[in-house]
Order: sequence, then structure tokens, then C-alpha cells
Amino acid sequence: MPVIQETELRLERRFDPRPCRHFLNGEVYVLHCHHYATLYSQLADDCGMLDGRKLLAEVAEDTFFDELGNYYDKHGVTDTADRIALAEQYYAVTGLGQMHVRCAGPAGAEVELSHSHVDEGWIKKWGQRDKPVNFITQGYIAGALAAIFGRPRRSYVVVETESLVKGDERSRFQAVSM
Amino acid sequence: MAINRGEVIGAMSKVQAIGNAEGLIPAYNVFVTQLPGKFWNGFAERLTRSVDQDSLEAAEWLLVNAAQECGYHTGYGIITSDEWKAVVAPQIQNQAEDTLHGAFAVFTAWGWAKSEIVELVAGEKMVVRAYDYYESDGVTYGQASRPSAYMIRGVCAAFMDLAYGGEYDPTGQTGLRTFQCQQTKGIECGDEYGEFVVTRTAG
Repeated sequence: MPVIQETELRLERRFDPRPCRHFLNGEVYVLHCHHYATLYSQLADDCGMLDGRKLLAEVAEDTFFDELGNYYDKHGVTDTADRIALAEQYYAVTGLGQMHVRCAGPAGAEVELSHSHVDEGWIKKWGQRDKPVNFITQGYIAGALAAIFGRPRRSYVVVETESLVKGDERSRFQAVSM
Repeated sequence: MAINRGEVIGAMSKVQAIGNAEGLIPAYNVFVTQLPGKFWNGFAERLTRSVDQDSLEAAEWLLVNAAQECGYHTGYGIITSDEWKAVVAPQIQNQAEDTLHGAFAVFTAWGWAKSEIVELVAGEKMVVRAYDYYESDGVTYGQASRPSAYMIRGVCAAFMDLAYGGEYDPTGQTGLRTFQCQQTKGIECGDEYGEFVVTRTAG
């Protein structure tokens, strides 16, 4: 039986009045609304110029791999359960939604969302759709798993199998190690 | 201008986005995220540098459009918010012009761009300068050949939509895209500041 440890995400917020920028744990952070996130997701989905879904997921993977990995290093977080708890909390703090990692190991994971900025924002803006659209979370999960298990980027393929945007009770993602 | 920028920036920069128990940040009639600037920059940068030359303007337009819709709806939420009513509204004398100046003070306070209006022709044209903005962070060496502050372009146009584009339309069918914005200078291009010229959309 795995031991679940609770770890609280430490946030250091700072506003630098000279450039007028906001920092969260030393990184520049910006606020954006669901119109922005859903239009970026729509752009990625409709993009005929290249594989926009992959591009958006990879940007998310790279960004959150760095954010979580740096946090684990800085605070000396080595326990898998702690790392997962922090990844879930970070997801919520950013406003991306409520994430629950059902199970995880170096070979893969099952992840669920009971709330999602992208899905609920999409529904608020356009209504339901019949295909998943949360490429940002696909990337988030891939980056988080790589950081949690000390693997390099692009170690996990993540597929969204159920979606809030489709009317499912929750979003569900299956991740498998490459 | 009746707006005290320093006072607005000082007060509004203290507003913090806090996620609720569902991991969402509902505010200003929208859901909000607080994400690293490099995430948004990363998508715009990789997209515009990956598409072929013939598709570049279309890709840029889509990025600007995302910001214009965001700026229109969130901007309306901001100028009707309790925070706005408490801090900015008491200073407003000329409704449209002071609302615009106040909006750019809030835009500055929330870290999108340290920006101000340097020219305003009521209902027709606005020129904005941005002295620091996260969209220039993608260039850390040398000078880009094209400006890339798509978010600022979109939001500048959106603020003019709100000021002079008629009554706010939650569907975005009217009122939105009555103005357009061109970026004429950019920190990412080696200029001292970014400059954004907003004019009425032709036709």
C-alpha cells in the first residue's frame, strides 16, 4: 500500500515595479483568460500549416517540466508521492483545474481532471464538442511525469480518453513511457 | 488625463489571482490562468518560426485575434469590476479617454506590458508605447527581423473596441474587431520600446 504524504506548494509572489512584472517562484507569470487559452487551443487544433496540437502540447511539456523540475530540485523533493501532490497543487494554483493522479509509475500513469480551465472555458465560449481539446494538459502531464520520475522530456506519450468538453463526467488521460 | 497612473498601478498590482477549491480562477466574468510567460511566448515563437512564409501573416493574425477576443471580454470584465470601481472609476472625467488610460494602467499593473497611451484621437486612432513586455523575452541575443508582440497588438485593438466600438457584445458578433493594431517598433527588434498603432478597421 503506497504511503500518501501531503506536501504544501510554497509560493513566493513578487511584483517588480521597475519593469512592472509579476514573479511566481522567480519566474515571470502572466494572467490570461479562457478566451485566450481556448483560442490558442482552437488554433492548435485547426492549424493546417503544421501539427499544432503536438506543438502546443510540447510547449506545455517543456514549460512545466522546467517549472516542476526546478521546484523539486530547489526544495529537495525526492519522494514520488510528494512530487505528485505538488504537481497536482501547481496545476490548481495556475488555474488550470483540479487534477488527480490515480496511479503512476515510471512506465505510465492514469490522470483525471474533475475541473479544467480549457474544457470548461471551451464550453463557456462555444459549448460542447465531440473531440478532446486539452492539448495543454496532455503536455503538462508528460512534463510532470518526466520531472517526477527523473526522465528526459518526450519520455511519455499522453492520450486523452475521456473529456469534460465532450460531456464526460471527468477528463481522463493515459500516459505511457516511450 | 485625469487618471493617476502611479496610484492605479500601485493599487491594482496588489490584486492576486487565487484558485478556488476546483482549481479554477473565476474573475471578471471569465476563467483566468496564471502561467509562465515563456509558455505563451513558446507557442507563438514556435508557431511563427515553423510555418512557411506564405502562412506567416495568417498565423500572426490568429495570435493577435486570440488576444483581441481575450482583451475585449476580459477588458470589459475589468472595467466593470469592483476593483475598477474602487480605484479607477472615481478618477474618470472623460469616459472613453480616461477609461482607456485607466485600462493601460491596469494592463501595466498586471504585468502584461509596461505601457501607456502617447497619442489618442478620439474614436479614430491610438498610439501606445510599451517599455517592457514579456513578449520580447523570446529574443535574448540580437534583433528579430519582425516584431512579435501579438498579445499587445490584440489587446490594444480590443481596448479601442471597448471605448469606441459600440455597446459591449458578450457574443463578440458586434463591437469586436472594429479596430486593428499594427506594431511599428519592438524591443525584440532592437528598438527602445514597442510601439502600437491602432486604427479603425477598413470597411
